Amino acid sequence: MTNLLAVTNVQTTAAQQTPDRALAPALEITRVSKSFDLGGRAVQALSDISIAVEAGEFLSIVGASGCGKSTLLRLILGIDTEYEGDICVDGQRILKPGPDRAIVFQEHRLLPWLTVEGNVAAALRRSSLSKPERHRQVTEHLTLVGLETFAGAYPAQLSGGMAQRVAIARALVSRPRFLLLDEPLGALDALTRRRLQDELKRIAQDQGITAVLVTHDVDEAVYLGNRVVVMHPHPGRIGAILPVTTESARDRSNPAFFASAIRFSRCWA
Amino acid sequence: MTSLRPSLILHGRPYVIPVLLLLVWEITAHSGLVDSKFVPSLEAVARRGWAEIGDGDLGSDLLASLRRDMTGFVVGATLGLSFGLLMGFSALARRLFGPLLLVHRQIALFAWIPLLSAWFGGGEDGKLAFIAMAAFQPTLMNTWRGVANIPPSYRELAAVLTFNRLDFIRTIALPGAMPEIFVGLRSALIYAWIATIGSELLLDISPGLGGRMNEGQQLFEMDLLVFYLFVLGFVGVLLSLFALRLESHLIRWKAR
Amino acid sequence: MARSNRPVPQGSEMSGGTATLPPPAVRPRRRHPGTVRLGNLAIGVAMPIALLALWQASARFNILPEQILPPPQAVIGVLRDGWNDGSLQANTLVSLGRVANGFLAGGVIGLLVGVVLGLSAAWRAMVQPLFLTLAQVPILGWLPILILISGLGDTPKIIAIGWSTFVPVVLNTSQGIAQVPRSLLELGDVLSFSRWSRLRSIILPSAVPQIFTGLREGLANGWQTLVAVELLGSFSGLGYMMAYGRQLFQLEMVLAAVVVVGLIGVLLYLFLGFIERRLLRWQAGRS
Repeated sequence: MTNLLAVTNVQTTAAQQTPDRALAPALEITRVSKSFDLGGRAVQALSDISIAVEAGEFLSIVGASGCGKSTLLRLILGIDTEYEGDICVDGQRILKPGPDRAIVFQEHRLLPWLTVEGNVAAALRRSSLSKPERHRQVTEHLTLVGLETFAGAYPAQLSGGMAQRVAIARALVSRPRFLLLDEPLGALDALTRRRLQDELKRIAQDQGITAVLVTHDVDEAVYLGNRVVVMHPHPGRIGAILPVTTESARDRSNPAFFASAIRFSRCWA
Repeated sequence: MTSLRPSLILHGRPYVIPVLLLLVWEITAHSGLVDSKFVPSLEAVARRGWAEIGDGDLGSDLLASLRRDMTGFVVGATLGLSFGLLMGFSALARRLFGPLLLVHRQIALFAWIPLLSAWFGGGEDGKLAFIAMAAFQPTLMNTWRGVANIPPSYRELAAVLTFNRLDFIRTIALPGAMPEIFVGLRSALIYAWIATIGSELLLDISPGLGGRMNEGQQLFEMDLLVFYLFVLGFVGVLLSLFALRLESHLIRWKAR
Repeated sequence: MARSNRPVPQGSEMSGGTATLPPPAVRPRRRHPGTVRLGNLAIGVAMPIALLALWQASARFNILPEQILPPPQAVIGVLRDGWNDGSLQANTLVSLGRVANGFLAGGVIGLLVGVVLGLSAAWRAMVQPLFLTLAQVPILGWLPILILISGLGDTPKIIAIGWSTFVPVVLNTSQGIAQVPRSLLELGDVLSFSRWSRLRSIILPSAVPQIFTGLREGLANGWQTLVAVELLGSFSGLGYMMAYGRQLFQLEMVLAAVVVVGLIGVLLYLFLGFIERRLLRWQAGRS
């Protein structure tokens, strides 16, 4: 069993760093630990997690339930700031949610009283763009996910897959640097899931965005990711970080793909 | 022929018992078994009703009652909405006012009539104060509940989209609480109407359905009282329908 | 130099931007309005104490005339005197007795009618529309007629209270019975239950929570109606006490009666809540 660990050097603060951003990792997770208090008992959700995410890469995190992968996403997002360790973007510690980090949840969480267009536009509420500018960007991103004709529909009228695509458009419309995906396709049927995986892959490549995907589906992780982080639960810790080596390994019709997937699933132990 | 009967039965069913009851009533009234003072015949009621409508009495009384109802309702519902929002959003307000409002809720509504009539007089002010109080409680409780029960996933979404408090209230909390708020408003409408009639019956006699019924009682005019009973039922049904129509119009996004 | 690994305290300048929103809890909890947590007892009683202080101040410094706002001592005096000469207990018992009678009558008949309507869709279709229309008429609307027919005694009052109990009991009982899940009924067929067994072992237990809701609403309605009818025309009871005090402009008597009415209301609320919790304990899983 391979046990490569991409250990990062514990970075100094931005003040002492050389401004050569291309070499420095875009998102750094350094020795992060977090425990919850569940009815008196302390539960270690994350234990000493360190990952360096390169700009533009697609990082998949796989693990069984309870390994803390969703918790980690929340920490990266900044909606939870109680933890030990550091999470830094460009060397700056993350303090709160920002327009540079967007997330797609497992449930689409579209607001039922807004139209598709309204939902996507909600992400631009805090931006300083003018109204026509906002409208243009909303339309652009709806086209990106292929739903420009449904701009006036309400979420109740959409299928699960369509609603999730709107959620993706909402996440991307503010042009974030980082796209976080928390088991985004878990609630969809198998066929829709395959189709959306292709779309996610295409979008991530076209937009040049840095993506962190959390999933329990090994095939999905291998298909979409440049690297795969395998996590174990109780406490949540990293088992292995493995690159998805060749491009052919990401081709589902290639037997090498399944070899990769099997290799990864053997890390489950 | 066979296709006609089932549909007739289906549509006719709700009317069977009312028609039967009306028949029994008619027969009893004309039978001479009971004093016609106590059981007026249907024609007597209809005749009296027609007279009331013709005189314009019914119209003006109805209008007076409805005006009172609406004024009191608006005041009470606005207060209830404001307080409900405050309680929903502010933990401090909840702690300060919660117990007091809960106790207020337990005091039977009509127990306030003597006090309010002493403080505001038995005239228009007293009646309006009572109607407003009737509309206040249901609006308050349902608004509060609607805001308090915004799903945590929406709160999280607001944090992720970097909403400030105002954005959250305007874009998520208020629309999300709307269905529950409307339940409260519909309840308040019903209670306000009950309070309107109640206040007109219990406080000073003045233009209005209740006032008229008070007179009718004192003058032993059974036919008038029965006629106004029908009017009350009619108005009650209309109010409910109106409230429902308004609600479905404003909450179009709910997939029915 | 490595950054220290201390945990980040919530609420400091390093915490989440939208600090006013609660952080995602491990277990999202639904809050029920009106739940007073013991820890907040101090702040909770602050308001009532402040009001009492204001009331006392108004009496002491004559901010509001005595006829409008009698001093707290006067109210306590009325309660004490009423207790000592037995009139308070008598009035309270009379009122409670009327509610009990009305609730019993309306509740029992309501349950029977509700069961019949719940079991038979045909009867429901015939009776429900008329019933719902009648329910729209405020109880007080019936009262002038009732009073003309049967005077100012107990009968019209109990009829009115009974009716106000009857309506929610019938509606909730019939709904509870009509909405027994189909899957449970099919279970009865599979196990070859007789009609009576089906009613007793499947339908009634399944409908109990909804029936209880109806009874609870009926009791609350009955109590509200009692106060109203006693005010309209009565020679005994708490409502009479209020009306009498109002007529003499002795508001301390009115306030004393309001206090008792409020107390009974609170006791009813607590009592019904207790019963509901007991009931729901062995109906685990239902909301």
